[in-house]
Amino acid sequence: MSGILTKLKDKLQSYRVPGYRTKFEYKWTMVVDLDRCNGCEACVVACYAENNLPVVGKRDCDISRRFSWIRIERYIEGEYPDVKVKFIPIMCQHCDAAPCELGCPVYATYHNQDGLNVQVYNRCVGTFTCATYCTYDVRRFNWFTYKWDSPLEQQLNPDVTVREMGVMEKCTFCIQRIRVAKDTAKDEGRKVTDGDVQTACMQSCPTDAITFGDLNDPNSKVSKLAKSPRRYRLLEELNTDPSVIYLKRVMDEKKGHGSSHG
Amino acid sequence: MKRRYFLKFIGAGGIGTGLGMLFGQAIKPPGAKLIPYLIPPEDVIPGLANYYASLCTQCPAGCGVLVKIMDGRAKKVEGNPLHPVSGGKLCVRGQAGLQALYNPDRVQGPMRRKGARGSTSFEPISWEEAIGEVTTRLNDLSAKGESDKLYFLTPELGGHLGKLADDFMAGYGSSNTIKYDLFDYRNLRYANRASMGIKAIPHYDIENTKYLLSFGADFASTWLSPVGMSRGYGEMRQGGHTGRGKFVQVEPRLSLTAANADEWVPAKPGTEAVLALAIAKEIVDSGHYKGSDLKTWKKLLSPFGLSYASEVTDVDKKRIRHIAKEFMSTRPSLAVGGEGISGYSNGVSGLVAVNILNHVAGNLGIKGGVQANSNDLFGGNDADTVGAGIQTLINAAKESKVGLLFHYNNNPAFTTPGSAKAADALKNVPFIVSFSSFLDETTALSDIILPSHTSFEDWGDDFTNPAPGFQVATIMQPVVSSVYKTRSLGDIFIGIGKAVGGTAKAKMPNDTFATHLKASWKRLYAKDKGMSASSFTFETFWRETLARGGWWNEKSAKKRKLSVSTRSVARHVSKEPAKFEGESSKYPLYLLPYAQAGHLDGRGANIPWLQELPDPITSVVWDSWVEINPKTAKRLGVKMGDMAEIESPFGKVLSPVYVYEGIRPDTVAIPIGQVHKLYGRYAEKRGANPLEILPSTVDTRTEVYALNSTRVRIAKVSRPGDLVKMDVYTDELGRGIVQTVPTGGQFKKSSHH
Amino acid sequence: MENISYNEVNEDVVRTMTHTTWKYWVALVTCAVMATVLWGGAWAYQIYVGQGVTGLNTPTFWGIYLANFVFWIGISHSGTLLSAILFITATPWRRSIYRSAEAITFFSVLTAALFIFVHMGRPWNFYWTMPYPTTRQLWVNFTSPIMFDVFAISTYMTSSVIFLYFGSIPDLAAVRDRVTGWRKPIYTYLALGWRGTEAEWHWLSKSYTFFAVFIIPLAVSVHSIVSWDFALSMVPGLNKTIFAPYFVVGAIFSGTAAIVTLMVILRKSLKFEKYITMMHFDKLCLLLLVMSLLWSYINVVEVFSDWYANTSVENETLRYRMFMPPHSYMYWLMIITNSIMPLLFIFKKLRTSIFVCVVVSIGINVGMWIERYLIVATTLPRKYLPNMWHGYTPSLIEISITVGSFFFFAMLFLIFVKVWPSVSIYEVKEDIGIPMRKGFKRH
Ligand SMILES: Nc1nc2c(c(=O)[nH]1)N[C@H]1C(S)=C(S)[C@@H](COP(=O)(O)OP(=O)(O)OC[C@H]3O[C@@H](n4cnc5c(=O)[nH]c(N)nc54)[C@H](O)[C@@H]3O)O[C@H]1N2
Ligand code: SF4
Ligand code: SF4
Ligand code: SF4
Ligand code: SF4
Ligand code: SF4
Repeated sequence: MSGILTKLKDKLQSYRVPGYRTKFEYKWTMVVDLDRCNGCEACVVACYAENNLPVVGKRDCDISRRFSWIRIERYIEGEYPDVKVKFIPIMCQHCDAAPCELGCPVYATYHNQDGLNVQVYNRCVGTFTCATYCTYDVRRFNWFTYKWDSPLEQQLNPDVTVREMGVMEKCTFCIQRIRVAKDTAKDEGRKVTDGDVQTACMQSCPTDAITFGDLNDPNSKVSKLAKSPRRYRLLEELNTDPSVIYLKRVMDEKKGHGSSHG
Repeated sequence: MKRRYFLKFIGAGGIGTGLGMLFGQAIKPPGAKLIPYLIPPEDVIPGLANYYASLCTQCPAGCGVLVKIMDGRAKKVEGNPLHPVSGGKLCVRGQAGLQALYNPDRVQGPMRRKGARGSTSFEPISWEEAIGEVTTRLNDLSAKGESDKLYFLTPELGGHLGKLADDFMAGYGSSNTIKYDLFDYRNLRYANRASMGIKAIPHYDIENTKYLLSFGADFASTWLSPVGMSRGYGEMRQGGHTGRGKFVQVEPRLSLTAANADEWVPAKPGTEAVLALAIAKEIVDSGHYKGSDLKTWKKLLSPFGLSYASEVTDVDKKRIRHIAKEFMSTRPSLAVGGEGISGYSNGVSGLVAVNILNHVAGNLGIKGGVQANSNDLFGGNDADTVGAGIQTLINAAKESKVGLLFHYNNNPAFTTPGSAKAADALKNVPFIVSFSSFLDETTALSDIILPSHTSFEDWGDDFTNPAPGFQVATIMQPVVSSVYKTRSLGDIFIGIGKAVGGTAKAKMPNDTFATHLKASWKRLYAKDKGMSASSFTFETFWRETLARGGWWNEKSAKKRKLSVSTRSVARHVSKEPAKFEGESSKYPLYLLPYAQAGHLDGRGANIPWLQELPDPITSVVWDSWVEINPKTAKRLGVKMGDMAEIESPFGKVLSPVYVYEGIRPDTVAIPIGQVHKLYGRYAEKRGANPLEILPSTVDTRTEVYALNSTRVRIAKVSRPGDLVKMDVYTDELGRGIVQTVPTGGQFKKSSHH
Repeated sequence: MENISYNEVNEDVVRTMTHTTWKYWVALVTCAVMATVLWGGAWAYQIYVGQGVTGLNTPTFWGIYLANFVFWIGISHSGTLLSAILFITATPWRRSIYRSAEAITFFSVLTAALFIFVHMGRPWNFYWTMPYPTTRQLWVNFTSPIMFDVFAISTYMTSSVIFLYFGSIPDLAAVRDRVTGWRKPIYTYLALGWRGTEAEWHWLSKSYTFFAVFIIPLAVSVHSIVSWDFALSMVPGLNKTIFAPYFVVGAIFSGTAAIVTLMVILRKSLKFEKYITMMHFDKLCLLLLVMSLLWSYINVVEVFSDWYANTSVENETLRYRMFMPPHSYMYWLMIITNSIMPLLFIFKKLRTSIFVCVVVSIGINVGMWIERYLIVATTLPRKYLPNMWHGYTPSLIEISITVGSFFFFAMLFLIFVKVWPSVSIYEVKEDIGIPMRKGFKRH
């Protein structure tokens, strides 16, 4: 009897976890050190270049349709002269319990064997459910079929699909680069090792604020950084189990260093 | 080339010439750019990327890059991981260089002016015609014996291209090469030469410092070498050194860099030098300084007492003393001075003051402080000589002393203060030849355009400046065939030189710039600057240098003592704060025009990625704005997004308002780079250009325009604003989004990297 | 209704189908044209250009289309409830109105279902949401509330059509027996050979009762499921336990109000004063009063618990909805129409005033539409990361499609009254009081 109950409990539990994997071959993880990040946005442009993100123009920016898969959020607090500006780069958190995956009726977004929240453009029917459910507002929708003024289209990365009108997209952890690394490793008969994959944002980041790697590998940089006492995850209380780990910024928040400072 | 184009191409051959012509139309890009599949170039594998090492020219920092090429197209610029400056990293502008290469608004081939000057009506001509025309003009001028009426206006031209241009000018008989860039660090070079006797810009070792005191250096976005410095910054913070370095930023507005500082000191505009010297005085008085010339320093610094400094700078006495104490007791510490101290009427003095501060604190010539850079591979450092400046050219043009002007890749009609009337002066020049690749405000004034390649299409080299403490030469190589009918600037000079004949011809020993570059490097190699250390032949050396992206030698780092003597700096030290035009009663607000991360001096404005990149602080896209403190805004009755008129004694501009807590109530700031009249579809007619309302005040020692040199007043205008900013809300509401830990516990290392 | 003869009933109802005035044609053509232009045209444009023609944005990916979807699903509850619930509770006054109510159900579910297509980025791939065996072995995601929707709505739509049709068979036979010309074969076919034998009545009664019992939980589940499109997310203001009952109550509330409005129109235009009497309005308005009180109760509970919880996310959503224009104006208007105006129905005199009934019922429908609109338009702009907050204003295209949907619905209803007996002939006859055949006594 209790065996059946446990089974039933597990079964019910499994319906609460979107996707169907609990163990990952690789567990791709990103660590963002907010004490290093200076908000320069090099990562943002790098992602545009790598992932064929369209430029939407002023009007569409105005109604919040900018495409960047990674954005720098700014929070300004305090009054002059005790002002603090805080930055945080936010991209898809590749939640292991991703609300977006739960919402997609057609499995256009699902969890793969490497712990990635992947997006299958061809499969997407554009119901917006994933984007509505995403608690981090990282999903971007192709409101139109975007055009590149010729010859700007010559820059488009052939390793990445150019998306068409009506489909959802978001940061992929540069899956095309992961693929290349996995193929190369396979050809060489080994596993992907630390440093084989660089996401475009990580690659450009001048302050080295972003680190990417496999959390299943105990010796990887991300595994080590993930143990930092400064570790936290964004909106962790929502139990989305994100794959992006932030390291807290070091700063004295409350009493600022205004002119009265001794 | 795509597979189906290939098939089409094969098909065309089979069906015959007539049909083939039709197919030819269908085959875009044209056949010349097809990669033949049967006998492909050895380094092209369709579908696989190749990476070529090259040089970023989006700013003068000279980062080494890798360009990813697939099927003959440039796909991505990445930092060259081997390069000592970029270390595999890049800034926003470096990333976006590709959109300059593939910009739809480039000048697509040589053109001759058809309409009135500045009317942008040009007709395409052939390269032969273009070179012929320029040659005729040059010959006419030299026939009149007025060779020295040829002026060449250019930004700092690095490496051998600069040399070649100099050779051409010398061969033709003119010494009038005018170097101009709105942000070209002439003040810094001058100040360093005057105070420390060094020509090359030194290495500011942010990475290893424990206490960084920055006077208006926005190194996170624009100053000097943003990528190199940001790399240093990241390491300083969490690089696994023994402790986390502290960082204090002095400037009237909280820039991106200041937003990262542990403390922000909003000193009154123009008083930063006084503050630096007051800190220096504290240090000298405290007995920290042990030099034999202690007395003379005490005397020199005596006017900068705490009371005076505090009153002038609007910084609390206690705070000045506290900074001084931390600055001298934290070892090593480092003071740097950026546009926020050099951009005043006494800019050189401000930078000298920073050097004095470093000297008395003992930061010169040490790890984590200021390190001298050796001269570049030429042996000297021509690039660092501060020669005649833009004002010289403007005056000469006004006085009709310019007979023929060569103009390349800078845009004084946009980047000089409105009252300098650069455009008007240039209209006075009988014939202007432009080598620019974009039809900007200055190029539009030219009579003939000989468009040159972008850095992706051309050869070149650069002796990185500032170098990271040792010699670095970065090679630029063509990574794609030219997108339009442009030419290498070196080739243009060689072509013109050969056509002109005489000494100019004699100075052009090679047929192309590519061979010239290689030959020049062969000479450097022969001189053996440690290049042939192993048993290389030149050919292997050259191949490896191209593959690596350049040549650098960490061993060439020489520890050199640096010092500042009272004698050398005395005449640059002044008790007076910088001067501002406009009576404070009529014009109550200081105006700070500043370089914006994406657009720098405006050159990035034609790049869609950068237009749509939210400003790191204000998050504004596709526009510029005027930053106003909330208290001031309330007093003026303006709200976020309202349109305001900013008026100086020299003119007015309209700009939407951005209400910002991070700016002094007596100061407003406007980013530079927008409101191009001409510069392509992405740049034109948006935002406000604060340069339009600046006086033409220069620091006479360097002819550098003082950007921060006028006061303004602001009035609300009833026109609706159209400010688009990506952050509508900047309040975290206690949701723990950007979590922090206090600095107290964090001076210990907390993570490995 | 005592003084009406059976024949008169037959004649009256069939007359509405066979005798058409020019006013009808004007109304029908207007509706058809407006629906085509406002909905069809705008939608075609949207499909061609992209969803960018809407005012949707990041993070407000759901807007007026989903509000309309929920609204029309809500309206659909009229038929089911009035017909089925009143049927099994043997409430006599349902008889003259239930047929139209059931039609409303079907048409509004249809309109609602179309809004799913309108809302989709790639509607032409709609069939991908159907679990059918494909060579690619792609299956649908049964954990998605959107999938729940697909099943719930298709089941509901099928059931409501069958329910409507079953209940109409005797009347279709009556029509068959009275019409001539081209209509004859159609109704002959539709009447399925109904002859009115005892056995036929027996089985009709059985199956109708079965459907009535079946469709009530279905209707409740459909609207619960619709609420879960929102409530199963983690979006502040949407993730609410109370949403399912709230939506069901709201659905009955708006559905009943829609019926009242339509009854008034039918009564006037088809001269059905004999069949739709003040008694009907009295009862319906009482129902409205009860639903209004329930609705208000849930609203108060929701706001109170949010306020009491005092978390940043709840507070901001409430503030945005209740105190920030323009949504605050809509919010308080909704409170007036849905909580305050129905209180008038406490008084019998007002319940039996056609004027008051119309004003209040239209008010309720406006209020209920606002409720649905505010649910999406005031929650998504206030999600977890304030930096991404962005409001939503529907574009002209969206407004056009919304208005068009009302014309579309009206068009369907106009066609219905011409092709279908819009009042149940046989059940009205029961009302007249002469006992029916054995085996169908109860009603
Ligand atoms: N008995 C038997 N029959 C088989 C099979 C088997 O295993 N056994 N295998 C089957 C399979 S899997 C396949 S794929 C087929 C293959 O069958 P086919 O497609 O007929 O393959 P081939 O005979 O290898 O080559 C076809 C022709 O292409 C020409 N050719 C070569 N290069 C080029 C070129 O660049 N351009 C053009 N236009 N022509 C070129 C060759 O000269 C040759 O004449 O056979 C099938 N039939
Ligand atoms: S961040 Fe959003 S899109 Fe990414 S996995 Fe999580 S819920 Fe999905
Ligand atoms: S928009 Fe696409 S990915 Fe998102 S839920 Fe709908 S179908 Fe799935
Ligand atoms: S991981 Fe790749 S896709 Fe994601 S934000 Fe970084 S660059 Fe963009
Ligand atoms: S590139 Fe690095 S430092 Fe710059 S904003 Fe991105 S994460 Fe921060
Ligand atoms: S700092 Fe200058 S040289 Fe370096 S990447 Fe940026 S623009 Fe290029």
